[in-house]
Amino acid sequence: MSPNAFYLLASLLFSIGLVGLVSRKNLFVLYMSIELMLSAVSLLLATLSKVLGEAGGSVISLLIIGVIASEAAVFLAMIINLYRSKKTLDSDRFNALREGARND
Amino acid sequence: MLEISIFAILALFMLGGSITMIVNKQPVFSAFGFLVTMIGLAGMFALLNSQFLAIAQIMVSVGAVVVLSMLTILTVNAKEENLPKEPHKFKWILFSSIVVAPFTLLVYKTLSILPAHFSDIGTINSKVVGELLFTDWVLPFEILSILLLSAMLGAIVIGRDSKKKKKKSQKRRRL
Repeated sequence: MSPNAFYLLASLLFSIGLVGLVSRKNLFVLYMSIELMLSAVSLLLATLSKVLGEAGGSVISLLIIGVIASEAAVFLAMIINLYRSKKTLDSDRFNALREGARND
Repeated sequence: MLEISIFAILALFMLGGSITMIVNKQPVFSAFGFLVTMIGLAGMFALLNSQFLAIAQIMVSVGAVVVLSMLTILTVNAKEENLPKEPHKFKWILFSSIVVAPFTLLVYKTLSILPAHFSDIGTINSKVVGELLFTDWVLPFEILSILLLSAMLGAIVIGRDSKKKKKKSQKRRRL
């Protein structure tokens, strides 16, 4: 089978992640969309490693899995901290750095 | 033929899971969609002859990341009124899909320039990956270990309950 299907799948997954990142407000969905975009890139790297006949792509993909794990830890801790401060998961309500924002 | 049907089933699972992920209102169902997507991705890695990567994907992404995010979602246990109100969610998703679609096509067309057939590299098992990881890729590997350590410390510091600060500020208010 040809690698074109894998290319199409990776670009579709990346775009779905981008759509989720742009159009949703729930912090958890934002986090999962970012993870999905990273995973799409790692699928692309694994495909390229088979197409080009070199195992380096798989190694980068493995390193990306490590990055995903560390990102998950920090992001989830941040979500817990944000939820504790305002009791909401709405990303629009965290605007403490905006000019003239109400500090409630 | 078998490969193509396995690919089709896995791709269907992944796309369905990711669409479930961005559409659902409850974060728990989104996490289930994410879980399905990650398992499908592990299957894709196995289909690409990257055994070690598939196992690492199942162990780290499915076993650790998704379980951790589900645990966080269930711990936070947000009520209906604490979830964001998104009355125009589907409109937003539709419009951003229309905006992103040309970008998807561009990425796909750009990638199609690459050779359109697989080379016969054989399986990329843990031996190949391990040898590469400790010769050519040793610097990124060490940087990744520092990143993991700092992420662990950062998660502990960020996620800690700052009750002491609250007590101090309450005392100040009383004074």
